[in-house]
Amino acid sequence: MAEKSVKQLAPVHFTQSNRLKTIYSIFMFLGLAAFVVTLITDKERAWHSYLISFFYFVSLALGGLFFTAVQHVTKAGWSVNIRRLVEAFASFLPYAFVGAIVLLLGSTHLYEWTHADVVANDPLLKHKAPYLNLTFFVIRLVGFFGLWVWFSKILVGSSVKQDTTGDESLTHKLLPWSVGFLPVFALSYTFFSFDSLMSLEPHWFSTIYGVYAFAGLFQSTMAATILLILYLSKKGLLRGFVDENHLHDLGKFLFGFTVFWAYIAFSQYMLIWYANLPEETVYYLPRLEHGWLAVSISLVVFKFIVPFLALLPRWAKRTPTHLAAVSILILIMQYVDLYWLVYPSLSHEEVKFSFSEIFIFLGFAGLFLFAVARFLSKNSVVAIKDPRIQESLHHHVVY
Amino acid sequence: MANFAESLMSACRAKGKPGVAGIWLDEHQLVKAAAKVKEAGFKKFDAISPFPIHGIDEACGIPRSYIPWITFIFGLTGCLFGVWFTWWTSAENWALNIGGKPMWSLAAFIPVIFECTILFAALSSVGAMILINGLPKVDPPVIDPDLTCSKFALFVPEDDHGYDADRVTKLFRDLGAVEVKRTEF
Repeated sequence: MAEKSVKQLAPVHFTQSNRLKTIYSIFMFLGLAAFVVTLITDKERAWHSYLISFFYFVSLALGGLFFTAVQHVTKAGWSVNIRRLVEAFASFLPYAFVGAIVLLLGSTHLYEWTHADVVANDPLLKHKAPYLNLTFFVIRLVGFFGLWVWFSKILVGSSVKQDTTGDESLTHKLLPWSVGFLPVFALSYTFFSFDSLMSLEPHWFSTIYGVYAFAGLFQSTMAATILLILYLSKKGLLRGFVDENHLHDLGKFLFGFTVFWAYIAFSQYMLIWYANLPEETVYYLPRLEHGWLAVSISLVVFKFIVPFLALLPRWAKRTPTHLAAVSILILIMQYVDLYWLVYPSLSHEEVKFSFSEIFIFLGFAGLFLFAVARFLSKNSVVAIKDPRIQESLHHHVVY
Repeated sequence: MANFAESLMSACRAKGKPGVAGIWLDEHQLVKAAAKVKEAGFKKFDAISPFPIHGIDEACGIPRSYIPWITFIFGLTGCLFGVWFTWWTSAENWALNIGGKPMWSLAAFIPVIFECTILFAALSSVGAMILINGLPKVDPPVIDPDLTCSKFALFVPEDDHGYDADRVTKLFRDLGAVEVKRTEF
């Protein structure tokens, strides 16, 4: 095994089963149907629901690209065998670009600052108008997605190219590109979260908002990666490439960013609670009454306390079924988290949730699965000619 | 003062156990040899290497450390202590009205409770590690000075199950040890 040369490794091919194709086709159809129906009955609700699911899957796609960049920057060896899977998430970005254009159609139903008459009578919104106006919003949105798609073509494109050429210099060239991507990602994702989510309640502001969104992004990306690994392992595609040692390290990331999310969420809450300023508490007060209190508490319990305790022991991170259960819980709670950020701006009194929200989410999930499955069936599931692959083949976690 | 230092040193002076040590020049051979020694029924033997070797824990049959449990239990204790202590200081013993907030406000005390959890967990882990390893050890017996740079050793102490110096010597020789000696460790 130790002497096994890289040249002997054959590309691993993933073929989409008919079942998978049926599932994501049905999901996409259900999502589209639910979106159209809700659009007719309740425009505002349809767009709010669209925004949550859109942001959810853009975050997963970007999380994949961010994770890829971090592996190149740190010259990580252990993650080579799983890197192609997170790269597959990034293949959703071009579809998300189209989704962003669609989102623009709903901007007047989502954001009150898009209405000239509202802004004219509101001194605060007038003051924020140089940033919060539709023209600049469109420029930023298109600019961010342009940058992300461009970087994904470079980072993922080179990695895929290496599968056929085996050119080691591609790996070295990816280092400066990845270093460049990280600050671009930090700024663009922060302002993307400000624009699309925080401006739903444009009087309120929080400088930590972007970090909060990022914490959810990384936590859910790790959960989705673990589930994808387990799915492909079940098909026997990752045998000899990925084992419980890789899962263990991903589980550590999942655990770490579960704590990180709680840390950031609490930091934001505590400072606002302490200062007790009306322009800041206005955000939390509606979320602590009516049905929203239960949603807030569920976040603390199921997005932090339960996964924290469930991921604490060593065996928990090395047991596939256990890890899968925790990952599914975290992916559900990521939706609840975004729902908690978005829906109170739709209604303070009522927690509206029904098939409309579920189906629109499934629609995006179908599109995301379609993109990921398409990418994985076109390319090898493992980056077999990466110069650091030996490190990943012999990855061994002692503690 | 000098007497005190000397008596402290002698208290910390490691008391070596007699036994048999075998020396190897290659870490892969060491892992293989350790697995065989375990198969031969020895349980208390130790491996000495200048650097960490993947797989040596399994080869020697060393069970997982119980320190994580100590960390967890002390962390939990620290958390509960933090809850009680912030309540006692801020609401019970010397109640102070700060900004009109409730005397015992969980949001304000979570950072303190969190830090208590970390402090208890971290200090107890380090303390337990030092105690379990019998540290500090002054002037421990040396099997071979090169064990800190280029050689690898296995050591079977005399109180190990089924210990017999000649049997261990033969076993080490058969496993390819370049040197076998009766020593202390």
